[in-house]
Amino acid sequence: MGIQIGIGLSTEKDVFRATQAAVMQAKSNIHTEKIDLAIVFSSIEFAAHPAFLKIASSLLGSARIVGCTGLGIISNTGVFKHGLAVMLLSFPEGIYFNTAYVKGISARPAVSAGGELGERLLYGFKNIRRDLSVIFSDGLLRDESSFLYGLQEKLGISFPLAGAAASDNLAFKKTSVYFNDEVFSDAACGVLWGGKLNFGLGVKHGWKPLGKPRYVTKSSGNIVYEIDKAPAAEIYKDYFASDLVQLRKELKRISILYPIGIYLQGEEEYLLRNIISMEDSGALVFQSDVPEGSLIRLMIGTKESCLAATAQAAEEVKNGLRGHASNFVFVFDSVSRYILLGRQANKELEIIKDRLGKDTPIIGIYTYGEEAPLKAVNYQGRAYFHNQTIAILGMGAY
Amino acid sequence: MLTGILGLIGLLAIAALAIMLTYKIETIRQLRAAFNSLKKSVDEMDEQAKLIVRTDMELSKTQEDLDKKLTGLYTLQRLSRTISTTLEENQIFKMMQGADLDELGFEKACVFLWNEVEKKFLPQMYIGYSQDETETIQSYVGLNKNKYLDLITAEKAVSSISLPIDAVFKEAKDRVFKVVSFIISPVLPKEGEKGFLFVGTQNIDTLINEGDEELITILANQLGQALENARLFEKTWRTQQALEKRVEERTRDLTNALNEVKIINNRKTDFVSSVSHELRTPLTSIKGYASILLTGKLGDIPSEIRERLDKINRHSDELVHLVNDLLDIARIESGRVVMKKESLELKNIIENVSDLLSMQLKERQIEFGYNISADANTISADRSQIERVFINLIGNAMKFTPPAGKITVSAHKAEKGVQIDITDTGCGIPEEAQEKIFEEFYRVDNLINQKAKGTGLGLAVVKHIIEAHDGKIWVKSKFNSGSTFSFTIPQPI
Repeated sequence: MGIQIGIGLSTEKDVFRATQAAVMQAKSNIHTEKIDLAIVFSSIEFAAHPAFLKIASSLLGSARIVGCTGLGIISNTGVFKHGLAVMLLSFPEGIYFNTAYVKGISARPAVSAGGELGERLLYGFKNIRRDLSVIFSDGLLRDESSFLYGLQEKLGISFPLAGAAASDNLAFKKTSVYFNDEVFSDAACGVLWGGKLNFGLGVKHGWKPLGKPRYVTKSSGNIVYEIDKAPAAEIYKDYFASDLVQLRKELKRISILYPIGIYLQGEEEYLLRNIISMEDSGALVFQSDVPEGSLIRLMIGTKESCLAATAQAAEEVKNGLRGHASNFVFVFDSVSRYILLGRQANKELEIIKDRLGKDTPIIGIYTYGEEAPLKAVNYQGRAYFHNQTIAILGMGAY
Repeated sequence: MLTGILGLIGLLAIAALAIMLTYKIETIRQLRAAFNSLKKSVDEMDEQAKLIVRTDMELSKTQEDLDKKLTGLYTLQRLSRTISTTLEENQIFKMMQGADLDELGFEKACVFLWNEVEKKFLPQMYIGYSQDETETIQSYVGLNKNKYLDLITAEKAVSSISLPIDAVFKEAKDRVFKVVSFIISPVLPKEGEKGFLFVGTQNIDTLINEGDEELITILANQLGQALENARLFEKTWRTQQALEKRVEERTRDLTNALNEVKIINNRKTDFVSSVSHELRTPLTSIKGYASILLTGKLGDIPSEIRERLDKINRHSDELVHLVNDLLDIARIESGRVVMKKESLELKNIIENVSDLLSMQLKERQIEFGYNISADANTISADRSQIERVFINLIGNAMKFTPPAGKITVSAHKAEKGVQIDITDTGCGIPEEAQEKIFEEFYRVDNLINQKAKGTGLGLAVVKHIIEAHDGKIWVKSKFNSGSTFSFTIPQPI
């Protein structure tokens, strides 16, 4: 007996009615009373009414709930800018899981917050083989890489991990994560699975390098001060023939369409970094760390390369599942891709359905960042924080 | 010697070294040239990359703009369809929702309509505002109503890009409407209260352009049109309701009147029936005694008395005839007479009747003929009653047809059963009398009627009999040009 799944989705305007509709629909689709875990993704207006999660929780009994907000939600039926998607999971004997959360992350070193989440997730997993972890974090955290590092110190450096940094309606004001019946910001939550679990993970972005390679000559964490010994912002000034004032006006567009790519030896693709701000000093602040000495390129994305990457990621999932079918699929898709694809945003979903089966239950969210492992041997399967990327995770039971 | 050899070797070595050095220098020069050329290529490629990036940026902006416009148009089309099919005024603005507004690139909106009675703007809809914010907006609009009335009069949309920086609407955008960019467009139905639609966004990246202004103007026009339709519908609906009410009242009055007529008619029938019964008994006695006296069994009767007794006898007959006709009508009307329907041959009936009337026809030198089509020969009727119809109608025709005239009976298949026409070449019936001749006691005022005696019940009896057979009777006549009495009678199923 595999994992049993029930998906519910509502785009109703009233948050509470939508909650009831989505949960009831998911319950009627799962065909079992034993609900272990609920994944809840929603557009941001839901987080403004935290009681919605109490309603969902009361309807779901003892089931654990994890999830987050996003610019939009993804399910088998389409991509929706407003709405609530609920996926209920019932695991067979032999599959174990635990959920945990950590809050107040920005008030302390991100490494220790990550470590705390790791410790909490591991609770009760002493003698069970740990297989996979999925985490959801506030998308406005400044130091996601350190958080991830702290988490991996506990779970294991080469431990498979996938995750989504929550997003809002591109206002970059407030994003939230959901844990049981509570809505948190400045927080992260996650699930740790163990036992007879089969999964395949695909991670791709499709952005291509452009122009000559450059070196990061001075940086600290997510702030790059100098590139090729010149103020970092010069690279953008030069490429766009623009001054700082003009660049700042276009920052959102530039950040999405032309991020920086860090060259990683042995990796097929560059690791992308979005710019958060351009300082007067010419320093560039990125969403995550850019190590000093990195070889970087300016990157460019097109709709075609973006969709081709989606297809490759879906293929990677298939390969990872080693011939077994997945019971359900998680999609963590960057908001940048949603913006780049515009009216073709649902083409990604079509590609995934085409590769992984049109009836396979799918639930997903648009993110400000994606967490997923690198594949090259020298990175030992360690998870990194990505931008502009689609991470597809297919899961099933052996 | 050795020194010389060593010197030569040394010289050769120096020469070889010099050659090698020259070669190396050449290689280095070549490598440097290659490196420089490669560097140049990379720099050139980088320059090309810059061009690509700038072009790509422009393209993506255009694409984004197009996408936005396309999405806006789709949303507008969808909204227009919903709004234009909404016929309730208070539902029109509810059709617009946050998600639609989002697709148009805005997240805040409100609509106000001017109320002529209260002399103030009344809010119709808010999207994206809290209760407190809506109160602030309402009081601001109230205080600045003239500005908004001017906007409605000007019949033109304004926006944060089209207005000068110090314009009146701009000062309220941050403080009251809580937006960075906005568009206000008047909502102008042809009749009734006019108003305005406000849409705005807090997003500093959303740059409003003329296209947005046009889009919102179209939406406001749609709202105006929908309001107009709803108001027109409301008006038509109310008129129709009033009309329906009146029709209902009139129908009720007429039904009551009809019921009253029925009751009166029933009473009349009962009355006629009982009076006729009461009359028949003494009449029978009068006629009986007159007949006994006329036989002379009670003694000889002088001729003057005989003459009077004959008159009594004849008038008694007429009276009996009249009473019988009245009784028949009363019976048929009250449903006491059941038509014993059977399959009959029309030809047979007509021949029987013509035999019965042959003496009189001969006397009056009237030609009688009939023409029955084969498919109309069989009818379903009560024999005695239908014979009476023919006797009455042919008798009537005889009465009003001058000598050497002609009476024809024809029959053909009609939509419901058989249509029988009895045509004479008589004096005809004046048009104004044609409708009344089937009424009881109605007699056409003419010379013949003045001379000939009649009850005025013959045609009434005929009509009752035909209707009791589910048939219809009517007359076509032209004064002095004869008449045709037509009636329908069913055929056996």
